[in-house]
Amino acid sequence: MEQLLVPTLCKIDQIIQETPDIRTYRLKFKDDSLMEKYTWLPGQFVEFSLIGHGECTFCISSSSTRKGYFDCSVKKAGTVTSDIHNNLDEGDEIGIRGPYGNWFPLEDIKGKNLLFVGGGIGLAPLRSLIQYCVDNRNDYKNFTILYGARTSSDLCYKEEIKEWQENKSLKVILTIDKSEETWKDNVGVVPKILEEVVKPTVENTKVITCGPPIMIKYTLLSLDKLGFAPKDVITTLEMKMQCGLGKCGRCNIGSTYVCKDGPVFTYEQLKALPDEF
Amino acid sequence: MSVTTFVTDKAGLQKFYEAIISSNETYAPVEKSGKFEFKRVMNLSECDPESAIDKTMSIKPLFFPRSAKIMKTITTSAGTDVKETVEDPLAGKRIILGVKHCDARSLQVLDKVYLWDYHDTDYQNRRKNTVIISARCDKAGQHCFCTSLDYDVENMDAMDLLIVNGQDGKVYIKARTEKGEAFLKELTSLQLAVGSQQSAEEEIKKQYDAFAASFRLKMNYKEVNEKLGKLFDSPEFENVSANCISCNTCAFICPTCHCFKISDEKIKDSGVRYKSYDSCNNGYFTLMAGGHNPRPVKYRRWRQRAMHKFVYYKERFGVNLCVGCGKCTISCPVNISIFEVVNQVANA
Repeated sequence: MEQLLVPTLCKIDQIIQETPDIRTYRLKFKDDSLMEKYTWLPGQFVEFSLIGHGECTFCISSSSTRKGYFDCSVKKAGTVTSDIHNNLDEGDEIGIRGPYGNWFPLEDIKGKNLLFVGGGIGLAPLRSLIQYCVDNRNDYKNFTILYGARTSSDLCYKEEIKEWQENKSLKVILTIDKSEETWKDNVGVVPKILEEVVKPTVENTKVITCGPPIMIKYTLLSLDKLGFAPKDVITTLEMKMQCGLGKCGRCNIGSTYVCKDGPVFTYEQLKALPDEF
Repeated sequence: MSVTTFVTDKAGLQKFYEAIISSNETYAPVEKSGKFEFKRVMNLSECDPESAIDKTMSIKPLFFPRSAKIMKTITTSAGTDVKETVEDPLAGKRIILGVKHCDARSLQVLDKVYLWDYHDTDYQNRRKNTVIISARCDKAGQHCFCTSLDYDVENMDAMDLLIVNGQDGKVYIKARTEKGEAFLKELTSLQLAVGSQQSAEEEIKKQYDAFAASFRLKMNYKEVNEKLGKLFDSPEFENVSANCISCNTCAFICPTCHCFKISDEKIKDSGVRYKSYDSCNNGYFTLMAGGHNPRPVKYRRWRQRAMHKFVYYKERFGVNLCVGCGKCTISCPVNISIFEVVNQVANA
């Protein structure tokens, strides 16, 4: 166990300032041969050590179909994430444990229409799956991404969103909460745009959603209203975690270990859990 | 496995203990300020393998230390060097004397969580290399309720050797596992007498019956378990937890509480990572970066504690996360009893 809690060293290859408080850290293992062998599936997470400061749980926000690196997108929110923002530069070393947890149900979504619904930093775990699906585009039918943030500057992955918008096989809908002078896209919260603008086909569609709790709450209601079955709605939970190994007892909801049985759950599975979160 | 039971007397038992201590790394209850804690002993006179249940701490720290260094790092201009720490001081072949039944059972309970999926290999080694010698209590403690729970206290195989003080004044030593049987064979120099198996079994049973009759606390575990499972929204959790001062003593002292935290410290260029006890009664236990906390109030944390022990763990691993030892109740500064908590909620 003790050995399982010891991280492997990585180097920060690149830091991308996504929004005023979100940065993407592009990581490579110090040992190149480890990087070549390293693999994960969209939805899995890692324990990120800022050596001497502590560990944080982050999803891997890139897909293993893009070789040679992996990304963690970090929002400045608590003690360690602030330390990460304040202390780390390109070339610095950090520690990584994982990948841990389950992943998006890749087999179930094959051959389906995909609807991604993301809010704020919630696009990070979705991005891993979006990249994976874009790289295997022929396996899926219609491909829609609805993404919203409070303001236009809070939209994450702006460069990549441009690529998605240029990709004719993807439909990208952006929204911000309040209107801004130079903003030409939608204005309104995600659930509203989902109902009024996206108006998704329910048949043969899988919805993958992640965002702040309040967005998730109303998005689930909207999806319900639109007629989506809970088993076709997939989300990923944020929960306080430490070990990532199903031992430390932090992430339990009832008898479910979010770090082992999750973090990816269908809405159907979530409904069966005690209403604790 | 043979089922030989050795018969001796009080003096013979003392010799038996002495022989073990003199030739093995032995841990046993050692008194300090009125409490007994399991410590390494060199002589029988230092310890009391028959220490009272009410005053004896659990053996948990011998398998899951309170705080352990798990990693050291040195950062220089050339980069960071990560060193996994030092040899495990608890990994050697060892014997523990005077383990209470509830405490022995707690290891079987901990096995479930530590040895599913990812294995806690340190725990596993400590477990594999340890012989558990258990002296059955003669009388239940004031807050004991082990016989009310979901395990067979009388016939359990959680201890390798069972020692029973017969009411006939004789002492019975019985192997309960193959490890115990092998260990007994190694002690040939003692030339323990093999008595009549039938009368030995009868005496052991008699002692158990007297012990089982001495319990003040009794509960219908199945009923409590079933009822609690449906009472997640019970307002009674607020009442039962009202007095709690969130000191976490109950969790630290509990033989089955196994939650831990990982913390990093840094002095100049060297960093240390610790794995230490933690408790769901801590307000910060589930506090996330950014301030969201799914259990911000005490009753929710107590609900987690009670439900984890009596519902969730059973659901997940098939056993209860409580062995009925009463240690939490004895040590609680505001007299909260887990026995009363679950009964009160279940029967409200």
